[in-house]
Amino acid sequence: MSLVSGPGRAQVAGGNLPNELQLAVEKHVKYIQSLDTRKDELEYWLTEHLRLNGVYWGLTALHLLGHPDALPRHETVEFVLSCQHDNGGFGPAPGHDPHMLYTVSAVQILVTVDALDELEKRGKTGREGVGRYIAQLQDRDDGSFAGDEWGETDTRFLFGALNALSLMRLLSYIDVTKAVAYVQACANFDGGYGVSPGAESHAGQIFVCVGALAIADRLDLVDKDRLGSWLSERQLNNGGLNGRPEKLEDVCYSWWVMSSLAMIGKLGWIDKDKLSKFILQCQDPELGGMADRPGDAVDVFHTVFGIAGLSLIGYPGLKPVDPIYCMPLEVVNRAVGR
Amino acid sequence: MGRYSEAEEWADITPIAQNDGGPNPLAAIAYTEEYSEAMGYFRAVTARNENSERVLDLTEHIISMNPAHYTIWLYRANTIFELQQTNGSDLQDDILEELQWLDNLSLKHLKNYQIWHHRQTLMTRLDRIPPTELAFLAQMFAKDAKNYHVWSYRQWLVRRFALWDTELPYTESLLAADVRNNSAWNHRWFVLFGQHVDPRSGKGLDELGHIVDEDLLDREVGYTEDKIRLAPQNQSPWNYLRGLLRKRGSLVECKAFAEEFVGDVEGEGEGCRSSHALDFYADCMAEEKEAEKAGKALELLAKRFDPIRRNYWNYRRGLLGLGAVQA
Ligand SMILES: [Zn+2]
Repeated sequence: MSLVSGPGRAQVAGGNLPNELQLAVEKHVKYIQSLDTRKDELEYWLTEHLRLNGVYWGLTALHLLGHPDALPRHETVEFVLSCQHDNGGFGPAPGHDPHMLYTVSAVQILVTVDALDELEKRGKTGREGVGRYIAQLQDRDDGSFAGDEWGETDTRFLFGALNALSLMRLLSYIDVTKAVAYVQACANFDGGYGVSPGAESHAGQIFVCVGALAIADRLDLVDKDRLGSWLSERQLNNGGLNGRPEKLEDVCYSWWVMSSLAMIGKLGWIDKDKLSKFILQCQDPELGGMADRPGDAVDVFHTVFGIAGLSLIGYPGLKPVDPIYCMPLEVVNRAVGR
Repeated sequence: MGRYSEAEEWADITPIAQNDGGPNPLAAIAYTEEYSEAMGYFRAVTARNENSERVLDLTEHIISMNPAHYTIWLYRANTIFELQQTNGSDLQDDILEELQWLDNLSLKHLKNYQIWHHRQTLMTRLDRIPPTELAFLAQMFAKDAKNYHVWSYRQWLVRRFALWDTELPYTESLLAADVRNNSAWNHRWFVLFGQHVDPRSGKGLDELGHIVDEDLLDREVGYTEDKIRLAPQNQSPWNYLRGLLRKRGSLVECKAFAEEFVGDVEGEGEGCRSSHALDFYADCMAEEKEAEKAGKALELLAKRFDPIRRNYWNYRRGLLGLGAVQA
């Protein structure tokens, strides 16, 4: 899946014509399908370190759009398996080092296309090997997770570990209690969470921290009124949401804020109509794809978060999304046995 | 023809072509020649596990084309450390040289985060902070005073080298330049209340009551009030103020302060200069069991000053036993 941006641009002005306030479903499907035909562009190669994440983003968008077969399943599985290393971890593309973030995307893709058994049969390791790779990245003293053997920690990695392990039903491989305590240590005076203890609250980090607590079934630890207030304050008058005070609105932050609100049961605290209109203004209704905000070039990353956002606020015709995993709800229900 | 294929220095290396693992071999694609060639040599040196000066040149070249390529950075860091072992050179000098190169690159690629990971990996090996480090970070903040990667690196640095004493005046200078800099407000909290915190588990941080120094709280409340007066409609210091007062368990000591900005709160809110002040005032009134007065402030927020969050304000009214209002 290419991470090349464009060719389209989100519409610049207005967004008031009836056809501009409709989600251009067919156009988005075509846009995502076209991404892999763009291998003659340098940007395709410069974004190779995000390839596997890109497949997850594109695939998830297609499932939510109701076109789960728009990417060939066999090739998708082959590509994912080709990114695996002997230690169980996945890189973003063949020849790249394994890392937590790519490993999570690999698991999410395989679960979405219901192909964990292919991993079992043909992977460098089966699912238990993947689970062990993730588990050894936990610091057993403080509960945090590194992204790779170099030891950098980030609450994104902790969430990724809980995310992938729960999808494979291997949460028992790690110390969940300590992971939860580490998330608690990242809570801030304003009700939000940061990347590490003491770091500034940030919508993306709040999403991963609250998501980790949701998977661990410890949302009781969240001060929901205070966090919900901070999150709902992210909505600007144009309807879009930002990630921190005094920053610009952005479709991806809109997703992280609203999914966090959904997890704590406060999604009603934002104006859904205004948000829906903002997201639709970020699409290119002609060539497909979505951008961070109106006027900018589209890319697959903002496309999936825009579509997932619309799904979460009940835009008609979309498959329901799971706010914790950002995957189709029915896929997650099947995987975790809800 | 190419930078490497024609160089004497690289004559012993046969580049390894890209294999994307999928069903369609990509050998034929028109990948730009320069990047493609360099990557071919990179694959070859990693296959031989070579750590040499020329690997530093090669990785520098690739990073100049693609600073986000995470594997290149890892290999480069490893090469620096391996080379120092084999040459017996001065690690401190090697790292300072690398940092200098990184400085320029960081100023060019503001959103790249691999650069900061690399910098931290290098800094871990030093016993003292290089004298130019903070000046360099000041240059970064001059370009973007809210850069999240730079802030989290700075917090790591403060803990690593115990820079607590000089950080407080630094947050003051940042807030003097921009009183709305939420990152600077957060850093101020970190410096004042994060100092005695276990850096790994975070134990001691937040309102667990570990550090409640009344004089410090008084000073911070005064400082924050002064900053709010400069720009009353600024959520960061209001959040900071609430954080301080939560350590004492009550907001009402600042009720009169909030009243400076709420305007005609019994009427239609004429003269209101801050929705955050109204919000704060409503909480003070709720604390004092003045549900009607609190409810009126919340109504003004829902109807006039922050209608986009009407549902939230109505939820707050509900907590006081009051009905919802329409925008
Ligand atoms: Zn974005």
